[in-house]
Amino acid sequence: MGMLSERREPVSRPVEPPFSPILLAGLALAVVPPRLLQPLFDAILAVVRRRHPDILDRLSDFPNAVIGIDPVDLPFVLVLEPWPEQPRLQVHRDFELVQASAVIRGPLEMLFDLAEGRIDGDAAFFSRQLVFEGDTEVVLALRNAIDGAGINLEEDFAATLGPLARPLLRASNIGGRVYRRLAEDMGKISSALLGPLLRGSNTQSARIAELEQQVAELRRGLKARGRG
Amino acid sequence: MTVEGVELVCPAGTPAALKAAVDAGADAVYLGFRDETNARNFPGLNFSRPELAKGIVYAHERGARVLVAINTFPRAGQPELWHRAVDDAARLGADAVILADLGLCDYAARTHPDLRLHLSVQASASSAEAISFYHRAFGIRRAVLPRVLSVAEIATLCAGVPIEMEVFVFGGLCVMAEGRCSLSSYATGHSPNIDGACSPASHVRYRDTGSAVVSELGGFTINRFGPGEPAGYPTLCKGRFEANGKLSYLFEEPSSLNTLDLLPELIAAGVKAFKIEGRQRGRAYVADVVGAFRRAVDAIGRGERPAVEMLDGITEGGRQTAGAYERKWR
Repeated sequence: MGMLSERREPVSRPVEPPFSPILLAGLALAVVPPRLLQPLFDAILAVVRRRHPDILDRLSDFPNAVIGIDPVDLPFVLVLEPWPEQPRLQVHRDFELVQASAVIRGPLEMLFDLAEGRIDGDAAFFSRQLVFEGDTEVVLALRNAIDGAGINLEEDFAATLGPLARPLLRASNIGGRVYRRLAEDMGKISSALLGPLLRGSNTQSARIAELEQQVAELRRGLKARGRG
Repeated sequence: MTVEGVELVCPAGTPAALKAAVDAGADAVYLGFRDETNARNFPGLNFSRPELAKGIVYAHERGARVLVAINTFPRAGQPELWHRAVDDAARLGADAVILADLGLCDYAARTHPDLRLHLSVQASASSAEAISFYHRAFGIRRAVLPRVLSVAEIATLCAGVPIEMEVFVFGGLCVMAEGRCSLSSYATGHSPNIDGACSPASHVRYRDTGSAVVSELGGFTINRFGPGEPAGYPTLCKGRFEANGKLSYLFEEPSSLNTLDLLPELIAAGVKAFKIEGRQRGRAYVADVVGAFRRAVDAIGRGERPAVEMLDGITEGGRQTAGAYERKWR
């Protein structure tokens, strides 16, 4: 099992965080010490253990794994130790002091979508929106374990919150609508700012493709002349 | 089944994927046990015995069948694990087992005479003589055809054999040597045909060099993806190598089979079952692809051409091909 810290992998985040409300929330969270967020993640792990014990069961072949999860639009990272006796999900500022077997990186929304099975992990990987480093076997096992559990975050929290579930879910639905509106508006701002740049870049790309085509044709012509 | 006699056979790597497939309209779901008895022996994937029992109940309550793939080749002198898999599939009420090994076909036929037997693509049976032999010797009721035949060849084959033919209609492609490929064994020491995992994840590494992602299998560098370039599976057959001064995908380019356009021709050829590849994929893939093919088969049942559905987002390398069915390279 590879240890990322020992292998001195680059510490940069290869996935660019999308311009989204999560990114803005992340900026606000940058001043919050990770230890203050820890109780939230302790609660999340408790829900997973109670509602989806099969996740840890499917990871039981990797009793010493340490999996880094990097939501690239947030100013903290998570470290999952799916150890059968005492699993842990810890919050850290970064992976500097973590001996991780593997690290998974992607925008938070994509990680939620993966957890709920709304998008396919292989497709996210093929499109390079999701990246990982380290022990591929551990990453694959985690992906399959989570996908196979049939997680539905809303139902999970409803089951956990008891009588508080209904009002909190209503608040969460309103929050979801506000979030989607905000994300849409930020998308428009992003397009307005980047549109001219992208147009210029597209024109240049088209010109480069055209030149490459001409070079290929010239090469073919030269080869044919050489044979003749 | 909406088109008479044509069954949509869909992949399930996990219980959640089984539910997704059945809910999206699968006529049958195929799956494997959590060990090397099946050709998708990947970490965190597949079914325990209790999960299979529950899956069968879920599928049967909704009119879908469950086929258990036991389609690797037993290690010499150690067939017990494979025998137990056949016994358990029969005991738990599976509708059929999908087998490749001659010895296992014989064991299943003798030990469980009422169990329906399908011939796996791993058996690589592609001629009427070979398929008829499996039928005569072991009572095989359906053969999954290797992805090497054109539609015209499939039509000839269907007319010449006494059993049902199943063909792949969507998903990952192999290099036309199913059940006989040694590329992964060469690079990793693990055989997909015996250990059940082509290019096992334990031997795969992705390295980010800053300007590119490099994929390695068993210590061999097999590809390098520039920024934004779609990635593919880390198998040797999808590797990009330099030969005669030219960098290219020597064996095959990363792309997925998609035959939505060809379904009417395949039905006319006499095919009785359409198989979707992808037990290693997530439930989102299963729901999307099964849904698209369900709609297509239903449309054909109404006498319409299936609508063109864009499945680019879930294909390997973002590309699709009709593969050997059309043989455009000839």
